[in-house]
Amino acid sequence: MTSAYKIIDHTYDVVIVGAGGAGLRATLGMAAQGLSTACITKVFPTRSHTVAAQGGMSASLGNMGEDHWNWHMYDTIKGSDWLGDQDAIEYMCREAVPAVIELEHFGVPFSRTEEGKIYQRPFGGMTTNFGEGTAQRTCAAADRTGHAILHTLYQQSIKHHAEFYIEHFAIDLIMVDGECKGVISLDLATGELHRYQAHMVVLATGGCGRTYFSATSAHTCTGDGNAMVLRAGLPLQDMEFVQFHPTGIYGAGVLITEGVRGEGGYLTNNEGERFMERYAPNAKDLASRDVVSRSMTMEINGGRGVGPDNDHIFLNLQHLGNDVIEKRLPGISESAKIFAGVDVNKEPIPVLPTVHYNMGGIPTNYHGEVVTLKDGDPDTVVPGLMAIGEAACVSVHGANRLGSNSLLDIVVFGRAAALRAAELIKPGSPHKPLTSEDSAPVLDHLDRIRGAKGSTGTAQIRDNMQRTMQKHAAVFRTGESLEEGLVKMRDIVDSFDDVRVDDQNLIWNTDLVETLELENLLCQAQTIIYGANNRPESRGAHARDDFEERDDENWMKHTLAWTDDKANVTIDYRPVHMYTLTDDCEVIPPKKRVY
Amino acid sequence: MAEFRLPSNSIVTKGKHFPAPDGATNTRNVIVYRYDPDSGKNPRTDTFEVDMDTCGPMVLDAIIKIKTEMDSTLTFRRSCREGICGSCAMNIDGSNTLACTMAIADIEGDITIYPLPHQAVIKDLVSDLTNFYAQYASVEPWLKSDSPAPPDRERLQSPEDREKIDGAYECILCACCSTSCPSYWWNSDRYLGPAALLASYRWIADSRDDATGERLDDLEDPFKLYRCHTIMNCAQVCPKGLNPAKAIAETKKMLVQRRM
Amino acid sequence: MSNLRTPLSQVKGHGSAKEGTGHFWVQRLTAIAMVPLVMWLCFSIASLPGMSQADIRTWLSSPFTAVMMIVLMLTGLYHAKLGLQVVIEDYVGDHGIRTIAIIAVTLLCAFLAVLGVFSVMRIAFSA
Repeated sequence: MTSAYKIIDHTYDVVIVGAGGAGLRATLGMAAQGLSTACITKVFPTRSHTVAAQGGMSASLGNMGEDHWNWHMYDTIKGSDWLGDQDAIEYMCREAVPAVIELEHFGVPFSRTEEGKIYQRPFGGMTTNFGEGTAQRTCAAADRTGHAILHTLYQQSIKHHAEFYIEHFAIDLIMVDGECKGVISLDLATGELHRYQAHMVVLATGGCGRTYFSATSAHTCTGDGNAMVLRAGLPLQDMEFVQFHPTGIYGAGVLITEGVRGEGGYLTNNEGERFMERYAPNAKDLASRDVVSRSMTMEINGGRGVGPDNDHIFLNLQHLGNDVIEKRLPGISESAKIFAGVDVNKEPIPVLPTVHYNMGGIPTNYHGEVVTLKDGDPDTVVPGLMAIGEAACVSVHGANRLGSNSLLDIVVFGRAAALRAAELIKPGSPHKPLTSEDSAPVLDHLDRIRGAKGSTGTAQIRDNMQRTMQKHAAVFRTGESLEEGLVKMRDIVDSFDDVRVDDQNLIWNTDLVETLELENLLCQAQTIIYGANNRPESRGAHARDDFEERDDENWMKHTLAWTDDKANVTIDYRPVHMYTLTDDCEVIPPKKRVY
Repeated sequence: MAEFRLPSNSIVTKGKHFPAPDGATNTRNVIVYRYDPDSGKNPRTDTFEVDMDTCGPMVLDAIIKIKTEMDSTLTFRRSCREGICGSCAMNIDGSNTLACTMAIADIEGDITIYPLPHQAVIKDLVSDLTNFYAQYASVEPWLKSDSPAPPDRERLQSPEDREKIDGAYECILCACCSTSCPSYWWNSDRYLGPAALLASYRWIADSRDDATGERLDDLEDPFKLYRCHTIMNCAQVCPKGLNPAKAIAETKKMLVQRRM
Repeated sequence: MSNLRTPLSQVKGHGSAKEGTGHFWVQRLTAIAMVPLVMWLCFSIASLPGMSQADIRTWLSSPFTAVMMIVLMLTGLYHAKLGLQVVIEDYVGDHGIRTIAIIAVTLLCAFLAVLGVFSVMRIAFSA
């Protein structure tokens, strides 16, 4: 099939791909600093999955009691199971306070305390005084914090006249000699291609929750930016660390915020026992997510699950009372009603650990610049390319992210990317013209998928992948099951050669888009399962039944995974940054992680 | 403008019938509006016999099942599947709602699915919301304040003042309300519609915003605001249970009060 | 012909007329005023001794009735003018026809008002 595409050219100082919280924060920051900025997004900005974040955004404001960013930093490092880079974590926790205040100044409708300050609730793993007490650190707008933040950021972007290309699907980066020169997107409404040349491309494309069968993630969470990076010959980092949120609604997979437990909700098994007291005597239901998800899975595996098949757990909040539920958790009572048919004032919600977040992603430094391992230097910056948000692995979350650190991550690093871009780029500086050869690989790629006339439907391959990942790269992993998964995944990846796209039209061809997304998911699924099989230890969200202990001596390092055009994975490593940016805090050395 | 007859190229014809897979015993007819812009043909309604024993509980599950198993060219927007992103707004069983939170069991008889009413259709269930988004932007939905914010802490707001924007800030811009409003059908070129007016009210009601006067000035117009005749379809269909009509009434009340 | 104006510019159009509240308010005010006025009219007609022309003339020539009648007619016609204008604005899309229709309704209501007032006054003063 020959390329008969109409290509529309644009030049900008910066192009941001993705309009979730991170993408929008970067977009408005860059536009406000006078850089010509375009934001490409496959869904209208307020439909990005940030909108579904519920519980809140952590920052040591101390509105509800004493707090300090050093304590927040300690919690985050402990939560990361010492795989997080401590310089980046210091940066994030320190910048959290101005970041949340900036959001409030933008107009985010945070809930309030009696004194009129931002309301903060307890969240899993958030403590005071280096693990002693429970911190109330998570700034909340009822249980719709993501919605409140995303809409406000979009509003600010309109205010700053940021330019959006909405319902454009980004296909690939334009790479010239290892440098990113721009990106090509497909305009869904017309089927035309747009080629953006930019001094900096910022990937804010989110995670790839849809590699799994049951995820809290939206259908659109396909990690397109991660896959573009893999195709550009760059690695992804720590992809084996996939967070299972303890409380996805049983069956539907819809998220129920950790804020429920923050407000006093608790989990019970079929004996009505608050089993978390056994697994985490101090933090109980507010232990970090990996710990709670594992405990729940152990209860279910031990035959103490609830329901006719003993295959899920109850989340109780009936005792909180109407007032708290109505004021602090209105959204989840609605979700529980719709998706579980449960009146939360009277009955518990049936829940199950559900895939929620990718700690891994595109390796970056704390400025958001993409880095790679090159000629022995693990911090080689890839010119012209940044990544932020869930797409990136800074790494502030290490092996396990704490709840409410992701809304923080997107805002802090969205802002950091804007600041860095302003340092690096002189507004309006000229571009070296692109040649048609530079974008030829992208068009070939699109043509190959568009013309796919095989015999297997996109949905069938996707279903095979999701079920395989769900089964073989779950909460608990064993070498045996992972090996089996690897074999299955190989067949599934190969079956993509036989994929079929039925819709041949130009306008709003979602069949084509879903196939491109599936291709993106497949290579990421490979990095997840390869990485998991390759790491013989248990750390954070990566729990191996056959290697139950953390192995700091050999495995306190980041996994880097490259894929080739057949999605074969090559692995190498980057060291964890065990140093801080300033002397305002100390390096937290590894120790046993108990809650 | 009020148009009571469809243009000849918009008249809906009867489309294809997709039978249930062999062995399916519990099926329901899902009748879906189809429009293929590339073909230039008139829109049609296709009938899909969907096996309910292997289908999820929501209308979106049925639509995805159709795309997955029966016709992969079926085109619609969807994302979060939990009623918070607002992508899958469509007209189901005669009423605008989100496909992802509409239970199939709550619909009697055949399940009819059309795009949002009175909007230009791009393809199948995807309608053109450009005007809707522009109307949202036109009310300048961001915090405007001449009082400088304290440099190192948040603006203060009492819980009572914060409560005043409950029911206004939760809008997900799905467009169910505006496209269910007859006044919006006839005059969407000038009437802002319930969603944009709710967005404006969200800032009018916010104690941190001091542009209330400006905002009221901008709305005081026979068309932008006063096309609302309290028909209440907006409140009836809102999938988030919000009441834009009440917000519009509050705005009108303020406009009267400031003259007295 | 494709429209190359941006969507935002089209929506902003001519901006706000800074008007409409008066219309809205007076429409409601006249509606409320009509409630007692129409009740008075009904009771008053119901309590008439007969419905002959002479009976009506006698009734209308009372100063109280005449004043009430004039108030009722003016209120009703003004309300009708406001209401019809809304209906025209709702359903008539063409700007030219819309303007002509509104002018016509306004003139018709004004004419009916003058005619009504003149008629009542003629009866009242000729008794």
